[in-house]
Amino acid sequence: MSTRSVSAWRWVGWACALWAAFGLASAQPQPGSQAPKSAAAAGAVAVVLNSGEGTVSLIDKVTRKETARVPIGKEPHHLMTTPDGRELIVANAVSNDLVFLDPVTGKVLRRLDRISNPYHIGFSPDRRWFVTASLRLSQTDIYDANTFKLVKRFRNPKAPSHMAFSADSSLVFITLQDSNEVVAIDLNKQEIAWKLRVGPTPAGIWMTADDRHLLVGIMGSDGADVIDWRKRAVVGRIKTGEGAHAFLGMGDGQRVLITNRVANTISVIDQTSLKVLETFPVPGGPDCMELTSDGRELWVTTRWNRTVTVVDMQTKKILSTIPVGRSPHGLFFANHAPRR
Amino acid sequence: MDTLIQIYTATHGWLFESLVLPALYALGFMDFAELAFDATEIFILGVVQLVLIYVLLRPLEAWFPAEHWADRKSVRTDVLYTMLHRLGIVPIGIYALLTPVVDGAEAQLRLLGYIPYGLEELLPWLVASPIAAFLAYLVVLDFADYWRHRLQHRWGVWWALHSLHHSQRQMSLWTDDRNHLLDDVIGGLWFSAVAFVIGLGPAEFVAAMLTIRFVESLSHANVRLSFGRIGDRLLVSPRFHRTHHGVGIGHEGARYGCNFATLFPFWDMLFGTANFAYRGTATGISDQLQGRDYGESFLSQQWLGLKRLAGRA
Repeated sequence: MSTRSVSAWRWVGWACALWAAFGLASAQPQPGSQAPKSAAAAGAVAVVLNSGEGTVSLIDKVTRKETARVPIGKEPHHLMTTPDGRELIVANAVSNDLVFLDPVTGKVLRRLDRISNPYHIGFSPDRRWFVTASLRLSQTDIYDANTFKLVKRFRNPKAPSHMAFSADSSLVFITLQDSNEVVAIDLNKQEIAWKLRVGPTPAGIWMTADDRHLLVGIMGSDGADVIDWRKRAVVGRIKTGEGAHAFLGMGDGQRVLITNRVANTISVIDQTSLKVLETFPVPGGPDCMELTSDGRELWVTTRWNRTVTVVDMQTKKILSTIPVGRSPHGLFFANHAPRR
Repeated sequence: MDTLIQIYTATHGWLFESLVLPALYALGFMDFAELAFDATEIFILGVVQLVLIYVLLRPLEAWFPAEHWADRKSVRTDVLYTMLHRLGIVPIGIYALLTPVVDGAEAQLRLLGYIPYGLEELLPWLVASPIAAFLAYLVVLDFADYWRHRLQHRWGVWWALHSLHHSQRQMSLWTDDRNHLLDDVIGGLWFSAVAFVIGLGPAEFVAAMLTIRFVESLSHANVRLSFGRIGDRLLVSPRFHRTHHGVGIGHEGARYGCNFATLFPFWDMLFGTANFAYRGTATGISDQLQGRDYGESFLSQQWLGLKRLAGRA
């Protein structure tokens, strides 16, 4: 047996050392301030959360090109503005923090640590409560919306996912993805009010503009369950498409969109008649959506393809497919249609 | 490079969207959709890794073998271990087994008000530099793995399982994954604890494991290869690790052995277990020379491991 070594391989060691040194030297001392100048100047940046790689993609809405990809934290899934609209909050589930961005430019403003596993987030309409759903740990946290101090932590097995509020802010409704339920938490009493069985793997939840019905995206089936929440009863099912998932109001208080992840379609539901008005194809696993204020362009994260898809809402044709990062989830831009 | 990424993304998306997702939907397992998306990627990366280690390392074994063998019969079982691990079957099984336990424990801690401090919380500048953060994770994981490995040799009950790994007398690029499944589960718990302490996310964990596994395939390869005097002290080389597998030297000598590191020999140097004096010793376990049987097939190896654990083999 020979003990002769291949000495050329010593260079591999040196290459590794140099690579490590380069990586350390290229580290930036401050997160943020990496917003693209051109898009910032145009005031038209779309922010996309690449949940699988811990970055945000900033997209120039005019050119529909990704202008920057910025490290943000681990598993950013959902985002929303503060009630005054001045800051955009990105919830990093695994990093246990919230990152506040400028909603117009996407520039990082500040970071708030010690927020437990925020998967989905929401403010009560009265701006009093900030609620986080921890899907992985089966918990729901209620924070004071002004101070972000924890008020109450609930065990909510299994897998609290999306949320919606009653108009009077007395209740927050949360889908429990792995136990096929919707739970209602009384925000005044800070206690669980009731639970209701729904279809398999409930995900998105939407309060209709008249505050009468909750629509629940049933991901394990082909539509949305309709809940009369005052009666605490499922009163119907709207058939939309396989893998019904997330909602977005179209701003007129009449129509709401729902993505169907398995069918690769998006349906438009009338919030009053609770009927499907139309369904159109969006391939690639459509997930979260954002609609321009004029209602002409629908932007959708298409999760399986690592893209954002832009749809012309008049013709329902795809205008662009924009490459972004791994597993794009939440999506936001400032001049969006009202969320109702 | 962009083209490669596009091909990879398209393959991942197509495989998941056209095969995996419809199957999950039909079977009523949509709550596993995102886990399955990651698992599909692990499978694809596993195929890529298998091709890479075979294309890059097998020629090295042929051209610069550390040992010459009459046949490669006993290597075949190790190939099966490698397939089961690198294609994600064992890791995903362990993940499914441990996740409820680990998440349940973590949820209890959160109810008590404890949130772990991630590395980035202690070193905020890491957030802006994924490469630096990744290197930091590798260092911490490797440190943890060094101590796991030392304990595998130190504690008799753990050695009863880990000795399966050392029983290969034809150590090759396929030997890294030759482990008892119970040992894999314990390793999963060990790394879950580390991931919890440093706030490691699933994506970073998978990337770190892919890196570690690739280096381990190289370090087990039947190649007389060193990285030079300095390189051998920076990254575990086949020569360095072959000494760890040497009969009567690597795992049965003073301090219960030497060269325990997986990636960085620094840990062995720091804790006094480094041995850079390669003697070309055969691999295996001393008691094999007295006839102790560790099994030939996958099933017999697993069964005998359990019997050793019970003190009956």
